[in-house]
Amino acid sequence: MNYEWLKVFIAAFFEVFWVIGLKHADHLWAWLGTALAICVSFYLMIMAGKRLPVGTVYAVFVGLGTAGTVFSEIVFFGEPLKLIKLLLIILLLAGVIGLKLVTGKKEADVQGVE
Amino acid sequence: MAWVYLLLAGIFEMTGVALINKLHQDKNWQALLLLLAGFGASFLFLTLAMKSLPMGTAYAVWTGIGAAGGALLGMLYYGESKDWRRVFFICLVLGAAIGLKLVS
Repeated sequence: MNYEWLKVFIAAFFEVFWVIGLKHADHLWAWLGTALAICVSFYLMIMAGKRLPVGTVYAVFVGLGTAGTVFSEIVFFGEPLKLIKLLLIILLLAGVIGLKLVTGKKEADVQGVE
Repeated sequence: MAWVYLLLAGIFEMTGVALINKLHQDKNWQALLLLLAGFGASFLFLTLAMKSLPMGTAYAVWTGIGAAGGALLGMLYYGESKDWRRVFFICLVLGAAIGLKLVS
């Protein structure tokens, strides 16, 4: 179960790389790295959908990818840090934790019934 | 026209997400190809839409349609949980992601 979630988290981590890559890549190697990051992130996200509900996986993938990108833009590319961004990131993380909690419970319930 | 492209991008994204379910169900090459075509078309239309729409807006609308629509299709056709807590947390994550894209 946790292993499946790890896939989603790593997928989101690579998503941050390719989103930044699409925006900032300016030479061949950067573009190749971006393409590789797209493949890795989508592969892991799709594979995580095998055991976890796909709707949940995709929402977490997109959500964490967005939070990570906004965070990286602030830390590495000098985007302004605004309170609203921090609040939204905290809200988003709360949603991800909530999803992980309810999904784990659901799975256990289903296994208990079967 | 840009909004039509954006709508199409969202619909293809939603289809792509639903096709992940189909891939795990059918486990064949056809499903994989459909999946890649779905996401490919989605990116293509998103790129077209971004030529005239602001990036943050385009991303926000695209994510919203794609992820919420994908989750909805999963609940309707692939037996994903309709537990209100799950729906609530998905809305929370997507709402925050859309907000982040709009303010960035």
